[in-house]
Amino acid sequence: MKPLDKSILPEKVLLSGSDCFHRVLDKHAHTHRSGGNVMRIVFYFNTRLPADKIKKTFSDSPLIYWLCNIKLQKGPPFGIPCWRYRDKGNEMVINEYQHAVPNELPEIILQRDISLDGERFIEADIIYYSGNKTAFVLSWNHILMDVKGIGMLIHHLNELNSGNEDYEITLLFPAQEKKTGLFSHIKNMYSVKRFIEASSKAPIASIAGKNARSVVTFKNRILYFTAEETDTINEHAIQNGARLGDNPFYLSCCCRAVNNVLKQRQQTGTLWIPIPYDGRLKGSLGPVISNTVAFIFYRVPEKALANMKETVACFSSQMTGQIKEKMPRKYGLLLNLMRRIPLRLYYFLVNRSGEGSFASFLYSSAGETFNGLKTLFGETVSGLTIFPSPTFPPGLTFSFQKHREALNINMAYSPDIVDNPELHKIERDLKHFLLGINE
Amino acid sequence: MDENIIIADIKKFIETNILAGDITLDAESILQNVGIDSFSMIEILLFIQEKYNMLVPDDQLIPENFKTMASLARMVNKLSV
Repeated sequence: MKPLDKSILPEKVLLSGSDCFHRVLDKHAHTHRSGGNVMRIVFYFNTRLPADKIKKTFSDSPLIYWLCNIKLQKGPPFGIPCWRYRDKGNEMVINEYQHAVPNELPEIILQRDISLDGERFIEADIIYYSGNKTAFVLSWNHILMDVKGIGMLIHHLNELNSGNEDYEITLLFPAQEKKTGLFSHIKNMYSVKRFIEASSKAPIASIAGKNARSVVTFKNRILYFTAEETDTINEHAIQNGARLGDNPFYLSCCCRAVNNVLKQRQQTGTLWIPIPYDGRLKGSLGPVISNTVAFIFYRVPEKALANMKETVACFSSQMTGQIKEKMPRKYGLLLNLMRRIPLRLYYFLVNRSGEGSFASFLYSSAGETFNGLKTLFGETVSGLTIFPSPTFPPGLTFSFQKHREALNINMAYSPDIVDNPELHKIERDLKHFLLGINE
Repeated sequence: MDENIIIADIKKFIETNILAGDITLDAESILQNVGIDSFSMIEILLFIQEKYNMLVPDDQLIPENFKTMASLARMVNKLSV
């Protein structure tokens, strides 16, 4: 193995527009005491994972070294914030735990924040269970990278572990940005602003309700489906009109489950949901660093929730319309322009435009990113799930992912927003809608 | 319509607008395996509708038709008859 060449690491990496938006979300999370904008991915193994092997792989990775030796620099007034690399010799910290309850994660991991003022923006934990089972957890501040980026980081670690050091370092970091004229930026800004204002126009029904101001804790509930059940779900998606991908169907199931709770509360209305849209060129191995997502915004009137086919059609037509209008790209350009706005002003503008409510609920899907992942650090991965960052409002996030053709849904919720009976109702209805039971 | 010409048109669109520079495609490459997701499928659908001035009906929006460039070309050919 060749020694780690630190000279190839970039000293400065500009934050993307989406990174800066996550900076606002991080501030938002701390303002509302919802635990920081931290993402976690958990890999499960039916073997005892050797910590030394993991440490060795991490210490061979220039990318991991870079991640442990950067600071967020705000930049000059109306300048773009950036990551500044300084070789302080920090290495990845890997915490090890023994835990009694199989597959459960110690609360200390789930509640731990990764602060933007901290020494590192990425952390690793290994949890050993009885019967030689292990869980490996990677946690990172969402400002650093998105789920697709973590998928590429895992690919990079697997390549290193198998002795393949033939990576292209420039691929791992964002490419130099193309210059865009200010006039086209401003023209674009107004068209996107008009669209988002119309899309998110009040009143919007939200799981957070009208009076919730802050939350104390977040919890997670994970719904697992077998590969056979996932096949049934896929067929059911196509039968209901989601012909070119599962997202409109998954989203429809979430909307209808949330709407059933809102019905009980007598708080139904139009739902508004922003959905991440990956802006990377497909098939590329980078960039790992930076969020490259834009958003598609869905406005779902209550009447579109009457039956599944209507709900799926509502999502499909809005998705097609916004892709046709190149709205995600335009929104990405707007976010890039907003990078120059000081954080406090940015936060004020985002809060004002949403009139205090961000969305009815949040949703993300890892798509096929981890579906085919067989091994990590040379060991067979028996399962995985992604813990979405706890975000309030709205206080409920659905994260969909597939592994070995089996779907799981990780729901991050605040018990201050969704109580136990409501959570059980959402869980039961979601399962029924996905599997087509009692429809 | 010559299916090879349709494949060349679709290939050019995908390589210019969707795929990373170092990815190569042939007519039978499985599009999902090179990272093309549902959003990109819609971009491809919109391109086909505009390029060949046709509306692809719902019953043709099935995963088998969007599996490869060759299957897309067959669908276009069938619809343009």
